[in-house]
Amino acid sequence: MGDEDDAKEYRWETGYEKTWEAIKEDDEGFLEASVADIIQKAKRKRQALKQGSQKLGMMRHLYLILDCSDSMSSQDLKPTRLLCTLKLLEIFIEEFFDQNPISQIGIIIMHNKRAEKISDLAGNGRKHIKYVNTLNQTSLIGEPSLQNGLEMALSSLKLLPSHASREILVIMGSLTTCDPGDINVTIENLKQEGIRCSIIGLAAEVHVCRYLAKETGGTYNVILDDSHFKDLLFEQVDPPPAAGCLESSLIKMGFPHQINVEGSEEPLTMCMCHVDSTSEGSKLTTGGYYCPQCFSKYCELPVECRACGLTLVSAPHLARSYHHLFPAANYTEINFDKQVALCFACQRQFGESDKQIYECPKCKKNILHRL
Amino acid sequence: MNNIVMPSDKPPEITSTDETSLLVIVLDSNPGQKMLKDNPHILTHCVDSVIAFANCHLMQKSQNKLAIMACHSKASYFIYPGPGKPLDVRQVDGQYEVFTAVEKTTKQNLSKLLSSENSTVVTESLLAGAMAMALCYIARMQRTKPLGAKLNCRILVVTGSGCSASQYMNYMNVFFTAQKQCVVIDVCALDQHLSLLQQGCDITNGLYLKVPQLQGLLQYLLWVFLPEPPVREKLVLPPPVKVDYRAACFCHRELIDIGYVCSVCLSIFCKFSPICTTCHTVFKMPAPLAVKPKKKKIKL
Repeated sequence: MGDEDDAKEYRWETGYEKTWEAIKEDDEGFLEASVADIIQKAKRKRQALKQGSQKLGMMRHLYLILDCSDSMSSQDLKPTRLLCTLKLLEIFIEEFFDQNPISQIGIIIMHNKRAEKISDLAGNGRKHIKYVNTLNQTSLIGEPSLQNGLEMALSSLKLLPSHASREILVIMGSLTTCDPGDINVTIENLKQEGIRCSIIGLAAEVHVCRYLAKETGGTYNVILDDSHFKDLLFEQVDPPPAAGCLESSLIKMGFPHQINVEGSEEPLTMCMCHVDSTSEGSKLTTGGYYCPQCFSKYCELPVECRACGLTLVSAPHLARSYHHLFPAANYTEINFDKQVALCFACQRQFGESDKQIYECPKCKKNILHRL
Repeated sequence: MNNIVMPSDKPPEITSTDETSLLVIVLDSNPGQKMLKDNPHILTHCVDSVIAFANCHLMQKSQNKLAIMACHSKASYFIYPGPGKPLDVRQVDGQYEVFTAVEKTTKQNLSKLLSSENSTVVTESLLAGAMAMALCYIARMQRTKPLGAKLNCRILVVTGSGCSASQYMNYMNVFFTAQKQCVVIDVCALDQHLSLLQQGCDITNGLYLKVPQLQGLLQYLLWVFLPEPPVREKLVLPPPVKVDYRAACFCHRELIDIGYVCSVCLSIFCKFSPICTTCHTVFKMPAPLAVKPKKKKIKL
């Protein structure tokens, strides 16, 4: 938000960043360069914040609590609030598992004053997306109950080991909540368990949401439009700094690999992940990942072994999270003064339009074009 | 010989007219690598093969694009299209001008690089950095391509040096970026088996081949790496080697089946230790283990 330089400004005016003043026409009267500049600056600002080795909550357990009440049928987001949300959630879940490969998501919906669990905490993105896709059939009736939703998530998150980062993300379309008891008690319980609750409001700011976010160390934002909604949702993709009460521990994990017996064909076996599913039956296949402890077979990683409870991952899954923990150094911005003719990385020729270029802080000679 | 002819007449019937492909070849020309130290003449053979292969790629379609990079122990450079103006080439012996340009530019820039390179001490090449630059180049080409056109991009790494764990993070970042950008990474290992790069090929759906005989490098290149990824599934290529995805522990660098992972920094250890060596977090001791060290102290 803008700095308060002018004391005469009213409080509600400072909320605006006066973006119209920042935009300047270029020589041909176009605004694009100026807008791109603003976006670029915002990007770098966000990037700069990421630096520093913070303790992050890497093993995230996130419950998505989705409002499926009457108010989600409103058409201020196109086509409706619910459909827009579901579409964004689909992308969000994919991105979430891409960035947090050993994390888990669960989905809860609130409608008709009740909370209903759509999917349990699990690490398989595709399954969740399938569930999210079925949600567009739900009837949007009644009022949501924030307390019931939170309680349901709490009861499941409570059981997790202490090293897990526990989070709740509420997407709230309604301005009201219809609760069976005192929600303050629930908020107090969440706070004690160290569960971070973030809320994205689709309508307007509500005090109880603000209070919930403040108490539990989460964020509360109300969307402006669908692209802002997407931005807010994607802010939740990066792992948050670890909560104070998060304990660190060593977790036993298995790294499955194919078993090769010399001179023999691999036997046909069934995988444990599909063995009792009704929709896709288990097929006899060769290959797969074998749990190093009990030799159950799985066709996908990461997974928790159903037989012995060992977490099975592969090395690249862990490596995927490393860039959050050990971020690459930022480039330093310098003014372009015809020092070099070509971008070192992409071989593009620098021209008149390039005012700022970037330099590697380590080797100095590599001068880069706008990233 | 059949194998060589097949790919070159296949792609046109599959790719549509506005689909072009960009190939970035990363050639490891670090004079410190073991293969070149033993016999420096191999480099000439490799460069000739790579240039012939690059020309074949250009021959498949006139709009196909090409970039060649040289990778050394301290930096990587684009040698085709090199810095500065493109060479002014006239037709020689009826050869297509672009081929002549590729050969001349590549050799000229490479010899310039090699003559300025004086250390042969460092055996390791900065392959991860070179691939990152290739990705930047690809990103730029994707940005500047004409609207509606489709550009299939891939990177081919031709190297004789080993891959070391010191670049692990850089490699992984490159692989995941490539996967996100839909860039295929192929690796042609000339001398040693490269397990890290093999993982990268698997992540990005590329091909990994350790050339059994260096003499036949060109044939391997043409046979395995010339066909574009969409065509490959229709060809009989060497069967994919099973990739070992086991992790190496941070303490002894040994591959392990079951290990302990630090919940804060995800470092991998083969035994339980009370303090993480990477992030210095102190772990809560599980009950049975907590008793043991005390007993030892008493005995001492």
